[in-house]
Amino acid sequence: MNESDQKPIIILEDVCKFFGDFQALRNINLQMKKGERVVVCGPSGSGKSTMIRCINRLEEHDSGRIFVDGSELTSAVKDIDAVRREVGMVFQSFNLFPHLTVINNLMLALKLVRKAKKSKAREIAMHFLERVHIPEQADKWPSQLSGGQQQRVAIARALCMNPEVMLFDEPTSALDPEMISEVLDVMTDLANEGMTMMVITHEMGFARSIADSIVFMDYGEIIESNSPEEFFQNPRSDRTKLFLEQIL
Amino acid sequence: MVVLKVFAVSLVMAVAFGLIGSSAKLSKNRIANKIASAYTIVFRGVPELLVILIFYYGSAITLTSIGRAIYPQTQFVDIAPFWAGAFAIALIVGSYATETFRGAFLGVDPGIIEAARALGLSSLHTFFYIRVPQMWRLALPSVGNHMLSLMKDTALISIIGVEEILYVAEMATAVTLKPFTMYMIVAVIYLGITTVITFVMMALEKHSNRHLAGTR
Amino acid sequence: MTFDIYLIFDSIPKMLAGMGMTLQLLFLSSFLGLVLGIIILLMRISGRWYLSFPTFVYIYFFRGTPILVQIFVIYHGLPQFEAIRDSVFWPILREPFGCAILALTLNSGAYVSEILRGGYLGVDKGLHEAGKALGLSTPHRFIYVTTPIAVRLAIPAYSNDFISMLKATSLASTITLLDMTGAARTIVAKTFAPYEIFIAAAIIYLVMTWFFQRGFGLFEKRMSRYIKQ
Repeated sequence: MNESDQKPIIILEDVCKFFGDFQALRNINLQMKKGERVVVCGPSGSGKSTMIRCINRLEEHDSGRIFVDGSELTSAVKDIDAVRREVGMVFQSFNLFPHLTVINNLMLALKLVRKAKKSKAREIAMHFLERVHIPEQADKWPSQLSGGQQQRVAIARALCMNPEVMLFDEPTSALDPEMISEVLDVMTDLANEGMTMMVITHEMGFARSIADSIVFMDYGEIIESNSPEEFFQNPRSDRTKLFLEQIL
Repeated sequence: MVVLKVFAVSLVMAVAFGLIGSSAKLSKNRIANKIASAYTIVFRGVPELLVILIFYYGSAITLTSIGRAIYPQTQFVDIAPFWAGAFAIALIVGSYATETFRGAFLGVDPGIIEAARALGLSSLHTFFYIRVPQMWRLALPSVGNHMLSLMKDTALISIIGVEEILYVAEMATAVTLKPFTMYMIVAVIYLGITTVITFVMMALEKHSNRHLAGTR
Repeated sequence: MTFDIYLIFDSIPKMLAGMGMTLQLLFLSSFLGLVLGIIILLMRISGRWYLSFPTFVYIYFFRGTPILVQIFVIYHGLPQFEAIRDSVFWPILREPFGCAILALTLNSGAYVSEILRGGYLGVDKGLHEAGKALGLSTPHRFIYVTTPIAVRLAIPAYSNDFISMLKATSLASTITLLDMTGAARTIVAKTFAPYEIFIAAAIIYLVMTWFFQRGFGLFEKRMSRYIKQ
């Protein structure tokens, strides 16, 4: 198709991050191509969340370099805002704006950041609400929706900004079991439509079905990175084997 | 009614001072912190009457000196007691509001701030569209109390000659020779206004919490 | 415009006299206000409507009207009635000092009773029940169990109210009393130096405020000895 398929859209080069004395990320090296689906897994405290949050500068990396769609991520505000427009994030705790209705949650960034007109913003917002199968909830308050519905709204909110990459930080970990599949279905649809995605999750069935590669992290390092078949069939490191035993 | 005008003007200024003060106190800028801290300590510790007197007479002296420097014939320049009084009261209530807003800002869910930043919203946008609406809901009960204090402080500006109800009552007493009646009327008027404010605050609290209707 | 430091030094004796008056007003009305507040609180939690209803009216009036108006009603207003002028209280009510104390006490009583009520409500119900189970009578329970804990809970709010009282004493200057604000105003009227004098007065108030806040802080620490930090 075009060369941008070949050039990586996200590059992490020797990235380190400290919280005081504690080293959360040790020399992370990772590359993601456009259209690729990467699933990141590992025990709690392994640095997965920290790493994904460095990509849109919710955390600041201490050393190494991060590139998103060709631009380097530095402390310059212009760069940060430019990156955040192209990178969408979905949080474990949804983080919907409680004082705005569902449709306004979606429209806010469109109006303020993309400077869209109200009618156009509403059109885009309704389109994505339909994509996540809950257009009828448009005028409700977030608190009136179930957890699964709220997370789908959160996904729609991120999609409204037309991002190049979507980051998911344990999107189903805060959900009751019966609502996990509705969210995973939406994410699977996204993957099938070709969205570039990085997903932190413990849902291994989901990982197996949509991931192009699975990255395992522990103690701030990337231990292993492989295609799903190789990862599950032939884990190379002992730590990976231990982790797989615990969750499967 | 002069009282209501002073109240409205003062309230607007006080809220502005409160927002500025609390932002200064919460910012990473050390100088802003210190200035805001000094502001709250001074204006919460000095009697309101004294603050009003300092502002009114002080500004008169300063302006007169400036006036004399420019036009030596100047006798006396002052700012209308209305504005000196309203400004002084706004500074006082603003210092209390600074503390209230500061606590309320700290109570805003940090997760939604992250969501706003992740969507690319600028700091300014995040402040006005996300932080302030959320903070307001938490601050509202205390704001009600601040409004009541503000209302009652307006009585003090009668001392510097603003023709609000207490001042008028003093004049009327000379005529009617019934001071008790006059002043009780003033008291009842204030009571009426504070009651209205209390009811308005209750309605506002219900309205601002309406988006929580679904939970619990 | 010059800043005349010597003016401040000259005024110090008058200011100190003013401070004396301020402190008198403060301590007397705070003490009486506390006593009144306790009585009002007991009336309020008595459960008998003929006792609690008057307290609602009283609190509503004194919290809903400005202190200045309350002072004026008492000082300027009461002499309107012959009954007052003939009564045994007249010597007190004729003097500005008496009126100021009365007004400040009544005002303080309203706020203090609410503060004490907050402290009272904050005491764990379980402690009441334990007292009952041990066979302690109601007055005993109240004195030995409820009160110490309620007092500790009420200290922060009470210290705020005490500081407010300090600031309220300045209003006594409007009825000719020479507290610090009153003293300052008379000096300024003679010398036309509002900045120096008023700011000096403001600084003294701030120092007093700081002093009392430290005191209350230490008192609260002492009452909280038994709490694990």
